[in-house]
Amino acid sequence: MQSAATAFAWEFRQRHRRGALAVLASFVALAVIRLAVAGAGRIVFEDVETFAIALVVPMVATFLYFLAIFSFGLAGDIAARQSIFPARMFTLPVTSSALAGWPMLYGSLAMMILWLATRLLGTWPAGVNVPIFWPFLLGPSLLAWTQALTWMAYPMPGLRVIVTVLWLATIDAIVMIALELKASEGVMLALLAPHVPLAFLVARGAVARARRGEVPDWRQLFAWMGRLANVVTRRRDSFASSARAQEWFEWRQYGRSLPLLVALLLPFELALLFPFHQTPVIVFETLCGVLLTPPLMAFFVATTVSKSSSQAGDAYGVTPLIATRPMTTASLIAAKLKVTIQSTLIAWLLVLLAIPMALRWSGATTLVNDWMRELVKAIGMPRAIAIVALGLALLISSTWKQLVQSLFIGMTGREWLIKTMAIGAMTLLGVIVPVAHWALGKVVIEARLWVALPSILSTLVVLKLMAAAYVAIRLHHRGLVSDRTILAGAVCWDVAVFALYGLLVWLTPALVFRRAPLALLAILAVPLARVAAAPLALAWNRHR
Amino acid sequence: MNVIAVSELTRRFGGKSALSAVTLCVPRGGVYGLVGANGAGKTTLIKHILGLLRAESGSVRVFDRDPVADPVGVLSRIGYLSEENDLPRWMRVDELMRYSRAFYPGWDDAYAEELRHAFTLDSSAKIGNLSRGQKARAGLLVALAYRPELLVLDEPSSGLDPIVRRDILGAIIRTIADEGRTVLFSSHLLEEVEQVADHVTMISHGKIVLSDSMGAIRDSHRRVTLRFSESRPRPPAIAGVLRWEGNGTEWTALVRGDSRDLKIDGADVVSDRVASLDEIFVAHVGSG
Repeated sequence: MQSAATAFAWEFRQRHRRGALAVLASFVALAVIRLAVAGAGRIVFEDVETFAIALVVPMVATFLYFLAIFSFGLAGDIAARQSIFPARMFTLPVTSSALAGWPMLYGSLAMMILWLATRLLGTWPAGVNVPIFWPFLLGPSLLAWTQALTWMAYPMPGLRVIVTVLWLATIDAIVMIALELKASEGVMLALLAPHVPLAFLVARGAVARARRGEVPDWRQLFAWMGRLANVVTRRRDSFASSARAQEWFEWRQYGRSLPLLVALLLPFELALLFPFHQTPVIVFETLCGVLLTPPLMAFFVATTVSKSSSQAGDAYGVTPLIATRPMTTASLIAAKLKVTIQSTLIAWLLVLLAIPMALRWSGATTLVNDWMRELVKAIGMPRAIAIVALGLALLISSTWKQLVQSLFIGMTGREWLIKTMAIGAMTLLGVIVPVAHWALGKVVIEARLWVALPSILSTLVVLKLMAAAYVAIRLHHRGLVSDRTILAGAVCWDVAVFALYGLLVWLTPALVFRRAPLALLAILAVPLARVAAAPLALAWNRHR
Repeated sequence: MNVIAVSELTRRFGGKSALSAVTLCVPRGGVYGLVGANGAGKTTLIKHILGLLRAESGSVRVFDRDPVADPVGVLSRIGYLSEENDLPRWMRVDELMRYSRAFYPGWDDAYAEELRHAFTLDSSAKIGNLSRGQKARAGLLVALAYRPELLVLDEPSSGLDPIVRRDILGAIIRTIADEGRTVLFSSHLLEEVEQVADHVTMISHGKIVLSDSMGAIRDSHRRVTLRFSESRPRPPAIAGVLRWEGNGTEWTALVRGDSRDLKIDGADVVSDRVASLDEIFVAHVGSG
């Protein structure tokens, strides 16, 4: 290596060459589709937005990927108080400016190239007027602040996520307001230009402090919360069983993250009700946002559920401490599942307590009561109650599902598999989203889909049940779960499916939906194969 | 009955052979030292014994059970100190003790406290704030406090400071052995192994090169220095000599077998002594 710049570039290239190849491949595929299919007139897009939607998934995925790799977020613990800048680099014989500067420069260049690729693909051959220059600065600005704020040390665990999300949302809001006000390209450039230099100054200070080992600590101020938690959780001298001990471990490891994140976000979201309590649209959107917060946060927390250690080095493996617990693999998974249920319920308890309080104190109760009265008037009290209860149950179960549905991948501890599945999911979304957008609104296609819906659902159900049968056979053969447990699990799943089916039949008019598709929907909605496969994944990881 | 019975165990990682047809039997009682250079296969062998690695070919039995098929039956009888300091950083020492005791019915509170005092560990200290040596002591505490039938220590010296290593670890290991329990520990510090082990197994490049009782190893290896009447560019080829050192007229041989057999015309025996484990290891492994 001839210089620090070359060394940083080499490290990024070596560590992320497969990801970079995947990004490149997705854009090449889009370009080919654009040239060979859309350009040749085989598919005619009605408007530029229809094609642009095809770019949303790869662009957003690439944007998030760049945020993660150039801020070293993939290698660090973002919830920790300490800087996530790799400590191994602190001893390199370079200045803090170089340590902070080179990753920022490479990240900014990558973001600019991303916009260039997006613009080339998104506008050709529609010829619409898409801004050129200011978006070149938006990506680097968001990345630079992400780097600066994630490399900073914080006085409280988890504060990094909140500060970063709020600051990025603020920048985004400013840009959106400027666009709404039809700001010129010059104004947009003036708004965005100072961000990267400012973020660099912040990042340089953050790295310099992290190098000196300076980490502010406010935890003593909140020590009473820990003591309260100990009282609430009835701390005892000993655990009743090894299963309880493991549940405690899992709870302390990641179980508190979801309720904590929800508790931290709720005040900011519900605060909108106070100035806008008489604006129905904002009240409605705020409530929707609040109700979607737990499943959304669960999506982020889910990545930590699979881990047996919060230390970066053990991101994918199972630590010897956990692997050598004298417990069955199924018991280790059971502890995880129980804690995810507790975590989900506590997060939702917070939401269900906070909403009525916020509505009452803000004065938005009247508006919500009016909506409820209209709903009762339209469909009757029992159905209204059932719809609200079903909606709530779906949101709660969706939150839990977010936490556990990727366990069967995460618990394998195989980095290549986890990354392949993530890229595969992104690719699938990259295909499904534009196809769905293209298909919706076309009467002929919608009609065909409607007719084919039972067949599509049946195919999915067959695949799901085949996967579940395979998992059950493997569990039985490997002796990971007793036959009795497999049977009990199957019975519980049947009960849940029948209950959901009954509710759907009662709620939906027979003229609109036939019963068979509802049954298929119920079967697809209740998790089965992926959750059941978690012990297999852990066994594969624990006994390599 | 053997506590550990490993038979023809082979393991490859990619193209590299980590263990090659390893056979090892560890009977109940005694201290077994597993020595080898870094990357020799010690940790891989230990991970197979714990069931953390599945045997590709061959078999591993611990307490006559398969550690992969029956992790509860095996792990509940083993105390294990990992080479990696993987204790959760967020846990306090008292929480670690409380958490660990739930898994082992034989956990001895009084003994655990005794160990905590001996290791000078503050019960309210967070693991994350402990030094590397203190973390290793905390790990050793929870591995010992339930008086396991088999104690497996993977490179305990890499984390423990010299005082704990010399004064405490040795004493603990001897106590366990005296109680009729078994200790298997890996190390590359041969002096330490020599002090406490009853039986030594040397491993190199995934193969066992020597496995015997400490007494037998000492009895069967001697270091003999010879003085030749004339300067020699290279030592003579003699059966039983594992390694030659020296130049000119004076050459030292590490001999396996009886050194009295080492009779060479034109050479006088200058010294003949018992070889140290370090010298024996170097002679067998062929480095250094």
